[in-house]
Amino acid sequence: MYRHKYVLIIGLLSSLVVIQGCWSSKEIEDLSVYAGLALDVGERTAMERDLESQGAKYYKRDLVTATVQIVPIKSFERQEKSKEKQVLKYSNLRLTGDSVFEIMRQYSTRRDRPVIGHHLKVIVVSTKLAQQQNMDQLMDFVLRDNDIRPSCRVFFSKGRAYDTFLSDQPEEVPSFRINSLIQNSYRTNKVLQEVNLTQLDGLIHSKQSFLLQNIVTSNGQIEFAGAGIIKGDKGKWIGDLNQENVESVSWVKGTGQGGVIKSYDWRNETISYEIKSMKSKTTVKLKGDALSFHVAIESTGRLIENWDPEENPSEMAYLERAEKVFEERLKKMIDNLMWKMQTKYKVDVAGFGKHLSIKYPHKWKEVKGNWDEVFSQVPVTFDITFKITDFGSSTK
Amino acid sequence: MFIRTDDKITTTQTSIFITDSVLGAGILTLPRSVIEAAQTPDVWLSVIVGGFIVILVALVMVKLSQQFPNHTVYQYAKRIVGTVPGGMLSVCLIIYFIVIAGFEVRVFAEVTMYYLLEGTPIWAIVIPFIWVGAYISSGGINSIARVFQIIFPISIFILVLSYFLSIRIFEIDNLRPVLSEGLVPVFKGLKSTVLIFTGFEVIMNLVAHMQHPEKAVKATFTGIGIPFVLYLMTVIVVIGGMSVDSVLNSTWPTIDLLRSFEITGLIFERFEFPFLVIWMMQLFCNFTSFYFNASLGISQVFGFKIQTVIFGLIPAIFITTLLPERINEVFKLGDSIGKMGIALFFLVPVLLSFIFIFRKKVLKQNV
Repeated sequence: MYRHKYVLIIGLLSSLVVIQGCWSSKEIEDLSVYAGLALDVGERTAMERDLESQGAKYYKRDLVTATVQIVPIKSFERQEKSKEKQVLKYSNLRLTGDSVFEIMRQYSTRRDRPVIGHHLKVIVVSTKLAQQQNMDQLMDFVLRDNDIRPSCRVFFSKGRAYDTFLSDQPEEVPSFRINSLIQNSYRTNKVLQEVNLTQLDGLIHSKQSFLLQNIVTSNGQIEFAGAGIIKGDKGKWIGDLNQENVESVSWVKGTGQGGVIKSYDWRNETISYEIKSMKSKTTVKLKGDALSFHVAIESTGRLIENWDPEENPSEMAYLERAEKVFEERLKKMIDNLMWKMQTKYKVDVAGFGKHLSIKYPHKWKEVKGNWDEVFSQVPVTFDITFKITDFGSSTK
Repeated sequence: MFIRTDDKITTTQTSIFITDSVLGAGILTLPRSVIEAAQTPDVWLSVIVGGFIVILVALVMVKLSQQFPNHTVYQYAKRIVGTVPGGMLSVCLIIYFIVIAGFEVRVFAEVTMYYLLEGTPIWAIVIPFIWVGAYISSGGINSIARVFQIIFPISIFILVLSYFLSIRIFEIDNLRPVLSEGLVPVFKGLKSTVLIFTGFEVIMNLVAHMQHPEKAVKATFTGIGIPFVLYLMTVIVVIGGMSVDSVLNSTWPTIDLLRSFEITGLIFERFEFPFLVIWMMQLFCNFTSFYFNASLGISQVFGFKIQTVIFGLIPAIFITTLLPERINEVFKLGDSIGKMGIALFFLVPVLLSFIFIFRKKVLKQNV
């Protein structure tokens, strides 16, 4: 009996070893949480050049300038205590190099609290960099890393990606602003559907062309302006679509959740259509070797704005006439998109390839390798039907 | 609560025992391994076909085991083919169980070290795991089954909940076109979909421990049916949420699926963490099952006391766990285990049944 008690005590004592708590825990106050990562063409800043002249050098090529946007935890407390002085809620840290991971670790030579990627929300890549470097190379580290979640969203910036991380509102964290903006796609289909890292990984490796939301900047203000095109086989940026093209893509794919179509009536006065629903159905035809697409677009909506005092929007005849005006407007927008896709850039970014692959997988296998070139020769027809179901709360 | 004195398990417990032996590390890599083999999104069909094959084999095992009431495969193999060949067969099974137990712990350790406890040394993760496994195994099959009963609903709930939440990134077009290249890829995918069911072989030992061995067929159907449905869900949800190209590039696709979305407003914003923590318990069940079966085998073949064997096996499992140095070797080990499983558990029951029927029907021997 005595011996058993002894064994029990030893056992219980040794069990303390395994209940020490988390071995690898780190206090969040000791870390720098970054919410955004901006990648620019490698260009050393004046400060970097100064530091390097004093010997802060290592073996590298200056290909990429990476900026991390750190959200300092301490500033939140400080701000509550002293309201008089507004503290910037973020700090940007910039370094140049040729390995994103090495740059990440290089920050540790500059900051006391090491950066940690658990809360990375947005990655902004400048189109200039995407023109030089393959997207696959740029995204390799973030996809491999264990801290960075693949739910992180990816954007393009027309100018320097660093500029999208500046804000004229000191209480606002710019990367959170970008992250929230993408959710506005239900208000306007000028905002592209979000592309996260997992989707991006799939898109890159499918070797087909695709779009990423473009951001433009001016003095700490940003705007989502169209989309950048990544050419599938090269994995590099080749050009842009404007806001209207992005709208048209959402019409062709039928993915838009809301938005507006504005046009001018027969007296050249503004009329606007609020989209309540949009549906598109793409049919693929394969006759012998000749491929063709037909897209039927249907939409219901509301006449929400009418600048023409001569007209009465509650009249059936007027609504039908207005429907025609909106249909024609959309037709024009889509024609412009098709011209850009088939003639200017020779890419398919509106998902026609996917329709083909589902309907005629064998044909798809055949043309998959140079689909963009094949697509530029394929005739695409459209059939657009709008229905104005109501005219809001005023009849006149 | 009523505590059983005889070491028997109920029919429900048997089903859960089988489910917990099947569901393990495989679910984390299944979508990738099956797409690598098939290269098309039709792999969910492979899971269905694979499941049916496995159920058929399991039926053969059950029917054979039912011929020898209260005898495990280690005991009746000797009676069918003689002491020495039967013993050798049993040793193969034992080695298989030890290796697979070590493999499960290793996969668990790899995932934990990469996503949860970066910086914790591997031994600190592995050793407590094996200790607790040894402790439960020493309680006998009844206590193991009861632990499984507690863990089973929790882990399945979290798994299904995580999948359910991932519906927001699910796109049906990722699963299309269906059968674009005919049935050939579906059969190519079978290679890995049959492998993920490894673990159901424990049924050959479980029948002997059942309170009502006559209900073994029913227990097997449920026991394999649950992982079957979950695997089917896994493949559909992961491919639908991530697309074939993305799954192919992901080391742990199921975890990456959960990492691909954030839920604001719920208790957890990120579902990979609760999933990984809960799934750890599932891997633990998986490990314990193999550990127990290996110990049972050694004690029955060589006539040692089972307690001695259980504690003696601790270093053996620890070494198997740490044998592979690179992650490639871990995955390779997983493949070899699958192949070993097919060889052992598709040939053994069929061969044994054949010899058994031959001796009984043709030679009219009393086996």
